[in-house]
Amino acid sequence: MADRLTFDSVDCGDVLPEVKQENTQELTWKHAVASLDYNPVHTHPEWCKTAQVFGLPVPVMHGNQTMSLMCKVITDWAYPVGGRMKRIEIKLIKPVPVGSTCTYGGAVTEKHPLGKGEDFVTVEVWAKNQDGEQVGIGTAQVRLPK
Amino acid sequence: MDYLEEMAKYQKTEKEKEFGSDFLKTQEVEDYEFWDEIEIGKETETEVPIKFEVKAEDMMAYAEGVPDDNPLFYDEEYAKKCGHDGLVAHPLFGTQVLFFVLRKGHGSWLRTPGSRNPGQVMEWYDPIRVGDVLSLKQRGYDKWIKRGKYYMRYLAEVYDQNGTLKCRLFTTLILPKTRADVLRFVKGEHALEA
Repeated sequence: MADRLTFDSVDCGDVLPEVKQENTQELTWKHAVASLDYNPVHTHPEWCKTAQVFGLPVPVMHGNQTMSLMCKVITDWAYPVGGRMKRIEIKLIKPVPVGSTCTYGGAVTEKHPLGKGEDFVTVEVWAKNQDGEQVGIGTAQVRLPK
Repeated sequence: MDYLEEMAKYQKTEKEKEFGSDFLKTQEVEDYEFWDEIEIGKETETEVPIKFEVKAEDMMAYAEGVPDDNPLFYDEEYAKKCGHDGLVAHPLFGTQVLFFVLRKGHGSWLRTPGSRNPGQVMEWYDPIRVGDVLSLKQRGYDKWIKRGKYYMRYLAEVYDQNGTLKCRLFTTLILPKTRADVLRFVKGEHALEA
């Protein structure tokens, strides 16, 4: 990729730098506070032992936290040059129990040269757990400067 | 120290301190919407009465809770140098907005104990900025049964004080089917068929 990221400098197949994040109960509590999503499946270890919403006796990471970290792959890449996300669609495949370490990444798959400031690229994004299993996949549309 | 006290240590912003963190209060759960009580195909549109006045501390707190240390989310001058018109809101900042305004009644199924997140769709139209006063319009968009699981989807649209559409969120969850199922979850029992 060129030094200065622009719509013209991007090619299909370009791979975005990965993000890696360990998920702890403390981190999940912090995300609950930040998102105001205090669902006990994320926050209440004792409740999770019996409720087992995902068939697991432990809290799991917020799905929207997984999505936020998938977005970080894009914001780290595109936002420092004035890029913006236009749309994202993410499917969450597996729950991420507290204690997991996930890696998040993406690659450019489409360019849409629409002109008039409407140019955008499509990025396929993914999240994998420490065993290499996909926990989330998705597609993002990202506007980039000319 | 219990889990609510643990989380209280991290509550820093005005909204975080004001917002109730116990999602297992039976009376509040009784006020939620339940999957089997929402008519399939019914579309309602409601402007939610609670507004969300965006402060820099709200935007920074969301990014910090991701965690995302990109200075675009914390440093207005840096964000401007990068071509933005001010402090940048993390793309999923709308999550905080939704939970802040949807506390009971229409759309409150978002808070349901026992719910699962199968993935989401979001679209952005105009940047959320410090000082915006955000309001929410939403309607029941779809509900379906797949492999024995009960899905609910609303379309939530976030507008600013000028009526400008900021983002659209197709919020989707897999829910326990009935009020009784949810109340079993409140007691810590497993109440899902699939």
